[in-house]
Amino acid sequence: MVKHIIPNSLSEALDYMSKDEYKIVSGGTDLMVQKRAWAETPPKFDQNTIYIFNLMDLKYIKKENNKIIIGANYPVEKIKDFKSTPILLKKAIEIMASPALRNLATIAGNIGNASPAGDTLPILYVHDALVKIVSKNNSRIVPINEVILSVRKTCINKDEMIKEIIIPILEFTKTSFVKVGGRKADAISKTSFTGAVNVKDGIVKDIRIAFGAVNVTVVRKKEIENKYKGLSVLELQSRINEILNDYEPFIKPITDQRSNKDYRKQVSLNLLKEFINNL
Amino acid sequence: MKSVNKTIPSIDGKGLMMGRPAFTDDLAEKNSLIVKVLRSPHPFAKILNIDKSKALELEGVELILTHEDFKRNSYTRAGQGYPEPSPHDKFVLDEYVRHIGDEVCCVAAVTKEICEEALELIKVEYEVLNPILNFEDAIDNKSIIHDEPEAHEMFPIGFEPKRNIAASYKMEVGNTEEDVKKSDVVIKQSFYTQAQAHVMMEPHTVNARIDYLNRLVLYSATQTPIHVRRILSQTLEFPLSRIRVIKPRVGGGFGGKQALHGEMLVSAVTLRTGKPSKMVFTRKEVFESSYSRHPMRFDITLGASKDGMLETIDCYVLSDTGAYGEHALTVFMVAGSKVLPLYNKVKSVRFHGHVAYTNHTPAGAFRGYGAIQGNFALESAIDMLVDKLGMDPIEFRDKNMIKQGETSPIFAIMGEGTEGTAMNMESCELEFCLNRGYELINWKNTYPYIQVSKNIRRSVGMAIAMQGSGIPYIDMGSATIKLNDDGFYNLMVGATDIGQGSDTILAQIAAETLGCDTSQIIVYSSDSDLTPFDTGAYASSTTYISGNAVYKAALKMRQMIVREAALAFKVDESIIEYDGTTIKADDKEMTINELSNRLYYNEDQKQLTSTESYVGTKSPPPFMAGYVMIDLDTETGEVKIVDYVSVVDCGTTINPSLAKGQVEGGIVQGIGMAIYEEVLYNSSGKLVTNNLLNYKIPTRKEINKLTTEFAKSYEDSGPYGAKSVGEIGIDTPPAAIANAIYNAVGVRITSLPITPEKILLEMKKREGEKR
Repeated sequence: MVKHIIPNSLSEALDYMSKDEYKIVSGGTDLMVQKRAWAETPPKFDQNTIYIFNLMDLKYIKKENNKIIIGANYPVEKIKDFKSTPILLKKAIEIMASPALRNLATIAGNIGNASPAGDTLPILYVHDALVKIVSKNNSRIVPINEVILSVRKTCINKDEMIKEIIIPILEFTKTSFVKVGGRKADAISKTSFTGAVNVKDGIVKDIRIAFGAVNVTVVRKKEIENKYKGLSVLELQSRINEILNDYEPFIKPITDQRSNKDYRKQVSLNLLKEFINNL
Repeated sequence: MKSVNKTIPSIDGKGLMMGRPAFTDDLAEKNSLIVKVLRSPHPFAKILNIDKSKALELEGVELILTHEDFKRNSYTRAGQGYPEPSPHDKFVLDEYVRHIGDEVCCVAAVTKEICEEALELIKVEYEVLNPILNFEDAIDNKSIIHDEPEAHEMFPIGFEPKRNIAASYKMEVGNTEEDVKKSDVVIKQSFYTQAQAHVMMEPHTVNARIDYLNRLVLYSATQTPIHVRRILSQTLEFPLSRIRVIKPRVGGGFGGKQALHGEMLVSAVTLRTGKPSKMVFTRKEVFESSYSRHPMRFDITLGASKDGMLETIDCYVLSDTGAYGEHALTVFMVAGSKVLPLYNKVKSVRFHGHVAYTNHTPAGAFRGYGAIQGNFALESAIDMLVDKLGMDPIEFRDKNMIKQGETSPIFAIMGEGTEGTAMNMESCELEFCLNRGYELINWKNTYPYIQVSKNIRRSVGMAIAMQGSGIPYIDMGSATIKLNDDGFYNLMVGATDIGQGSDTILAQIAAETLGCDTSQIIVYSSDSDLTPFDTGAYASSTTYISGNAVYKAALKMRQMIVREAALAFKVDESIIEYDGTTIKADDKEMTINELSNRLYYNEDQKQLTSTESYVGTKSPPPFMAGYVMIDLDTETGEVKIVDYVSVVDCGTTINPSLAKGQVEGGIVQGIGMAIYEEVLYNSSGKLVTNNLLNYKIPTRKEINKLTTEFAKSYEDSGPYGAKSVGEIGIDTPPAAIANAIYNAVGVRITSLPITPEKILLEMKKREGEKR
């Protein structure tokens, strides 16, 4: 017998989860598709399911000490409209799915689903976002790159739930987010590129690069970024081939229904090159 | 003109927007049995055994029908005039399944859930056969898809089932092989088009009941109610006189509802059980189990003289009709007959080819109907030739294309499945379309491209196109007009409004002729018991064919009114003046309301009804020039449509806003075929793009600007000068966009859709060649 639970509070939810294993549904924009059955019939949930969509104690967004803190239940469309939301995150949300889906989808869902094509994930990587994970008797804060382990695999235990996402507000002088999809709405990305730099007096103080949908997780390589910090913009641009060579081994896309691996790789590198050349 | 060439809202628009029950499924009996089909998981197999015992034990399962329940009457679902130019190669249910999604058996149960449970309990044993999944390997393949003795053609269409050939055709004017040898410049190229899906918003839907007269009454979302009735009667051997087919409002067809889909099984269930039943296709069924556009390969050879005259066109076509041969011959012939006459100054032209069976989802009628495939191939090849000649594409077309008053020998040779009809272009403003589009897209300052930013190239491309207006001597429409008391009219037409707005424009034609306001015309369309004969909504025929019938019927009604007024006034008919509302003779005056009330209640009592029909003796083509401006991103290969300019000659636009809607709807569907709508099968013959997430039609966000203008044109044989406008819009985007991509980056993509992957791959190859 499959159980369907609609708890009244976070603690009640965690209480259930300490006893049994549950699939967590908030907006359902991934799960309803994954579990879909015939048209016009309810999706086939084959395991215990807990619905957190009405938990107001997870529905918040706030700015605190140069960070924005987003409750797990807060829909992305509202995150986009929050004034302190980092510009990159706003850009990524603007091209996600369609308005109806954006009113239901959550960043916590993007993390829990752990698809390499998740639209907001590269932004979380670039911002070194932290994820607060809670269980009945415990609470821990984990960096995003340690939460997502592989395709559809996370470090979140059976009795745990994402409570909030903590995104540091950083200073960038130029940012870029490019999603390449089959069309402009309701399309899963073929590849995506996220770039952000902080240039002061012609010197690259900070540079952050992430690629989506080209490996089992989002690709962000701090060791490569560190190598190029402190250079002038012109020096950086003159070493473009070296930068492309550094990233090349980590871009390992697959061929599937949406695109092919040669195209994804070529386009990812083209977008990186374009970003550096246009600094 | 008072009512024609005026924009008025669709007469059904408001009611539909308010959610009034109007569509097929709104009108099903509430206690209908649900009919669902068990569909084949194999692309080609023989059914050895169907064990339905477990499913029949399930409470609520009413009936399970298999091939054993039907007499082996072969038929075609095509929904065309009789005898059909499509092979009779289908059975209601068969012991063979020929594509994934083909019908195995059907279940009728009291609820959808029970139906689905029953489907899972049916155990089928198959002998899996070798499928043919590549249409280029189909002819003379060891596997024979239609080996059954009952499959036959109705008249010669080149049907050779033992060779997997559904139809074939050959025609030649002059000697193309000789002329190619003599030409200064020659282009040879193959082109491929994909199995585009219609993606009408309302899926295929039908329901049935037995009425109090013991007759079978169907509501069906169909484009061809009269054909549906005939084919049902012939195939199920149930008297035609006991079938009534009603077409309510339909949520889009695009040719996808010309054929029969659920009608046979729903009728069989209701006839067997005596209970009402209904069937609504799932979106997956629409993709896998209805039909698509015919994929085709064109091998084109063009020859021209140095001074830029096109001398010869040689075109071989291989078309893929999938598992069944619906519209196999006719779509393939239209790929020639509605494309090749564009260049009528050639010395010779050859068009020949075959239509092959494969184990894919069948192909059938689809807006454009071969013309879009042919247009992509020919108009791409013309640009290749122009490039080789070093000429301007506009100048070349202006020099070589068909113009006002001219003809082409092809019109007489090629019809749809039969011989054609000779005609001169009495109305042809293609020259205006070409020049006006050139201005609107700003060709002069953009061609071939301008560098907008480091990685964005803005370029332009274009193509010209023609279509037809019905099939001469075959497509027939008729109309009945009835005058009611108080002076308003009923207009009864067999013409089939499927969302394109034909009820509205037919009312406008009637109102114009009768001199009354359009609101005085109450239209009732497509009920096989109540409305007169019409072949249906296809072949760009409704405005021209049915419109002419309405015009004639209205003219006759007007004469009847004048005659009755003369009787009432006791004067001669010749002195009656009638403006549509008031009838005058000398000093006497009477309104139409007074006359009709007099006729029905007081004196000279009689019902005024007029009926007229029309069959075309020619098929005047609408023409257009399509110009596209694109931004091509050289980093990603992505193409953004910046503007699509359409300049269209469709004669008089009866309703300019609806005509514009037809053109622009066609353009967007054409853009989808050109660059978005990829059709993917996996290696076992399963359609991967069988849902709306994987199969990408353009959304509102892909369409930036559409610029649509109509040429001033008047077709004498059309109602108030109108020609057709339903299909012409879809034809140009594939070639125009392919040409714009070539103009931007010098790569020629010859297969549809033109994805960023293909563009980037070709750009890379080209760079490699340069080095």
